[in-house]
Amino acid sequence: MRKFIDGYARLLNWLLGASVAILVVPVTLQMIARQTGLIPAWIWTEEMARFFFIWMVMFGAMIGVREGTHFDVDVWPELKPRTNAVLRIVSMVFVLVFALVFVWYGYRFLQFGWAQTSELADLPMGWIFAAWPLTGLTWFLFGFQRLRRDLRIAIDGPGPGDEMDARGQIGTGSVV
Amino acid sequence: MTTAMLTPGVAALWLFGTFFLLMVLRVPVAFALGLASLPVLFIEPRLSPMVIFNTTFKAYNSFILLAVPFFLLTANLMNVGGITDRLVTLSRTMVGNFPGALAQINVLLSVFFAGISGSSTADAASQGKIFIEAQVKEGYDLSFSIAITAVSAVLAVIIPPSILMVVWGGVLQVSIGALYLAGILPGLLIGLAQMATVHVYAKLRNYPTYRRATIKEFLTAAAISVPALFTPFIIVGGILLGWFTATESAAVAVLYAGVLSFFFYKEMDGPKLWHALLETGKLSAIALFCVGTASVFGWLLAYYQIPKALLANVTSWGLGPIGVGFFIVFVFLVVGCFLDAIPAIIIVGTTLQPLADSVGMHPVSFAIISIVALAFGLVTPPYGLCLMISCAIAKVRLRYALKDTMIMLVPMLLVLGAMIIWPRIPLLLPELIRPEFLK
Repeated sequence: MRKFIDGYARLLNWLLGASVAILVVPVTLQMIARQTGLIPAWIWTEEMARFFFIWMVMFGAMIGVREGTHFDVDVWPELKPRTNAVLRIVSMVFVLVFALVFVWYGYRFLQFGWAQTSELADLPMGWIFAAWPLTGLTWFLFGFQRLRRDLRIAIDGPGPGDEMDARGQIGTGSVV
Repeated sequence: MTTAMLTPGVAALWLFGTFFLLMVLRVPVAFALGLASLPVLFIEPRLSPMVIFNTTFKAYNSFILLAVPFFLLTANLMNVGGITDRLVTLSRTMVGNFPGALAQINVLLSVFFAGISGSSTADAASQGKIFIEAQVKEGYDLSFSIAITAVSAVLAVIIPPSILMVVWGGVLQVSIGALYLAGILPGLLIGLAQMATVHVYAKLRNYPTYRRATIKEFLTAAAISVPALFTPFIIVGGILLGWFTATESAAVAVLYAGVLSFFFYKEMDGPKLWHALLETGKLSAIALFCVGTASVFGWLLAYYQIPKALLANVTSWGLGPIGVGFFIVFVFLVVGCFLDAIPAIIIVGTTLQPLADSVGMHPVSFAIISIVALAFGLVTPPYGLCLMISCAIAKVRLRYALKDTMIMLVPMLLVLGAMIIWPRIPLLLPELIRPEFLK
């Protein structure tokens, strides 16, 4: 199971990096087309950029739960590692509630999607809407893995290597 | 709309109450905003959780927000591709003979960096690694070094290009070209205020200085840096001339930074590029995901007309434009302590817009004072990302550098106050260069 999750995370990482690189392409094509007329001005470049962008955001949101980098606000004084682990468990339970919403209602959202096609490229919107339930499922996968580790820390105290991503290391959660 | 079951007051209590409770429990802000919307979505018979999907989809399906990963990628390419190193050399030949030389270089580099990148966190991360250790080695106090790195990093979102201005322009329908022009003067003034602060510190604490660089050294460093320094002119100029949109200009900046680091400075390779792409994806996706859930939260605020109810009191105070300006800045400074700047724009910016309109404040000047206040929020605890990053690099807790950060904020706040009292400060450049943008 652990191997499977690690492999899945590697795949998501790869997809994330690739989607960032791909994003540049349609936007560049669009500019070249408008400025030079060397290539025809495809109308779908803008839509394609937006759809890759949506998937990029969702891939990153999935990985953020695995790496614990979704940013939070810390109003607590310095806590013991075990107390920190308990707080992380509480917060993860809420994250999983949101994951449940993403899976349950996201599935209905996905069903709406198969009935619609996109405005410009006539693509079934299901290909885009699928990102939501998939994100929810992935949060469960990564979330349970973190929960197991934090439960162990809360009960047995931190083992070697656990302090690495305990609280105190920054979650680089913003681009601003 | 007229027959909502919950009153604005009750809905606001549910929304804000749940949000703050979850935030205290350290639930990530993005999830707290989404979860806080759930009770209301279940209670209100006309709404359902499907609102979350429609609204997040609409938020992410935005060509304007695409600029966010592009600006971040530009900054990452600059750092791994050797562009930042050249700019350090140039800064050194310019201010190296000032008292507190290395700290002055730190500020000046932030000004240059700000003109190329639109991301303050990228600035804090890269300059923290360059300067904090080096400054301490030369005898600067650690808390001073952390603080100056953090406060100078906020320039990146004030001097164009700026992620915040792109988001503001997109969400509140203001010309991004006008915002870019309006940000230049305030950004330079804040940079000057920071250099003055460093000067006073350096005199009081006898911080070291370097020998004056020769004209030849300056010219050599400038010549090497010229292609990099040309970036802001491409971005801002291209938008002003109507060659490309804000998003496209960000893509141009990516391509330009890529070409420079691959072919001109020749420090880029495959693994470095992949690292830059992956870091960009991770950072921008996490922030942008929060934009989606913030939009749901903001949508519900608008649905119940909560902003109107909240501002009803303020309107009755009868404040003039200057009073309203200070009120807006105060709200953004407080909100900026707890919330990331992008969701703050979506939730608070749209809330305060009617108030700014009611006293005839120019949309561009409203945008700039708000963005500057939010930028200051990047160094105010508990949620001041630039300060958090600088402290993390120095491996100390946030409180350690707090006092020096607050001292350095005072002159910056004075500049902000001046911008409220004299709205011409931000409006001057757009009036001179592109008056039609202000219409």
